[in-house]
Amino acid sequence: MRLFLLVLLTITFPTLAQEDMTPKAWLENMSQALRQQEFKISLIQLQADHIRPLVYIHGHVEDQEVAFLEHLNGPPKNAVRVGNTVTFIEHDQPAYSVNADRIQGIVPPAFAGDISALESGYQFVLGGRSRLAGRPSQSIRIIPKDNLRYSYQVWLDMETYLPLRYDMLSQDKQLLEQILVVELLVLEDAPEILKEAYKQEWPPVIKQSDRIAADNWQFKWLPVGFEVLVKDSHRLIGSHEAVEYISLSDGLTQISVYVARAGETVLPEEIVGRNGLSLSTIRKGNAEIVAVGKAPAETLTRIAESITIE
Amino acid sequence: MDKLGQEWVSAAVDGETDAQTLAELAADTDSHELWQDYHMIGDAMRGELPQQINLDLTANIAAAIEQEPAIVAPKVTQQPAKPAAKLANVIPMFKQFGQYAIAASVALVAVVGVQNYNQTPEIDASPLPVLNTRPLVGSATPVSLQTGPTQQNRANEQVREQRHRVNTYIQDHMLQQRLNNGAKLEQPSDMIAIPVNQ
Repeated sequence: MRLFLLVLLTITFPTLAQEDMTPKAWLENMSQALRQQEFKISLIQLQADHIRPLVYIHGHVEDQEVAFLEHLNGPPKNAVRVGNTVTFIEHDQPAYSVNADRIQGIVPPAFAGDISALESGYQFVLGGRSRLAGRPSQSIRIIPKDNLRYSYQVWLDMETYLPLRYDMLSQDKQLLEQILVVELLVLEDAPEILKEAYKQEWPPVIKQSDRIAADNWQFKWLPVGFEVLVKDSHRLIGSHEAVEYISLSDGLTQISVYVARAGETVLPEEIVGRNGLSLSTIRKGNAEIVAVGKAPAETLTRIAESITIE
Repeated sequence: MDKLGQEWVSAAVDGETDAQTLAELAADTDSHELWQDYHMIGDAMRGELPQQINLDLTANIAAAIEQEPAIVAPKVTQQPAKPAAKLANVIPMFKQFGQYAIAASVALVAVVGVQNYNQTPEIDASPLPVLNTRPLVGSATPVSLQTGPTQQNRANEQVREQRHRVNTYIQDHMLQQRLNNGAKLEQPSDMIAIPVNQ
């Protein structure tokens, strides 16, 4: 009888503990799970009128994180990550590697990073529970503290804390992007494919050190939580236009700001894509400032207007 | 003879004649109508009638051709009728993001090439040979062949140029996202700050 009670206690205790968990703790568990667990997920990505099926496999080989992302439809398009190197293997060009700590393209890389870094711009709210991919899940809402960016909602598997669904919503709660897991397999050991990937010799990382320092651009105003990631000057692909470039991020979304000599053709002031990507343009004297990113166009315009040179 | 003729045609419709009689039938224009009627009857019995029965197609076509004004060459002028549709495309182009993602990755190697190029001091005007695979919009198109560029053509070109520029910015943004992920890693303070939970 005592044994029975003990067993009952050990079964109920974790769920009781889950009742008390703060939304931040849930997200931290997710971050940890994304980095430490061995799993295979099949998912679909919905974006405006695009539907893409993907498979993501994650595990550890000799203490190194190894991950593999495969696009299932269309021409082969895969990414392999070993440690801090991500190699893109695509049908139309030789494979190449970049330095990165996550494979982009599924949930935001920040989800596997430091969750408290998101706290300056967003607050976390516990949502309801629902069943996804055949598993019970808990939803967490990631709501911006201002009305200047998109909000997010993520559903976590109650057993493994891995994300089962991810939504990006516009300010008026329109769905912009969704990632939906259809099958989650928790693995005992890293699957063969990851071991193979680990052994494989990948192309060396592309040199990024030769970024040319840009002028000292400053922002008079930025939404809370945004920081400058990178500044440089380079030429745009395709048009060879020389631009000064500043990259901003609040952890979840990245915004690119370009300063260029104003061209003959005037760019549209604001464009909003149905998947949330926007572009804003303003003109200051003979300079043209363009801001691109997954954020509302008004926010991009405000950011573009606040840029100054020191 | 008439009765006999009918039987003839009927047999031909059922495929019960030899090649010679068939050739004779083909020569006999009077029986053509019969031939068509029998086929129609056969179709009706098999339930294969089309929804709309156009009884004498050949005659209709002949009449239509008769009424058609004689057009020799100037069809080409209809081409510039597109700009209105193009205008509407400015926003829907976002649909093609999948392709841009690919394009951005394609461009990755190219950009690295450009940056290397930039190391040698200021070669402003010289076209960068690395990237010249795609013609710059507006320069290479045969617009100049048209006599007297109309206002519409101008607008069309501008819209294209605008689209092209928007695309380059978006491509560059996508590419930078891939690259900056690594740039963040190069600043060690960012990475060490990540605590292992509990």
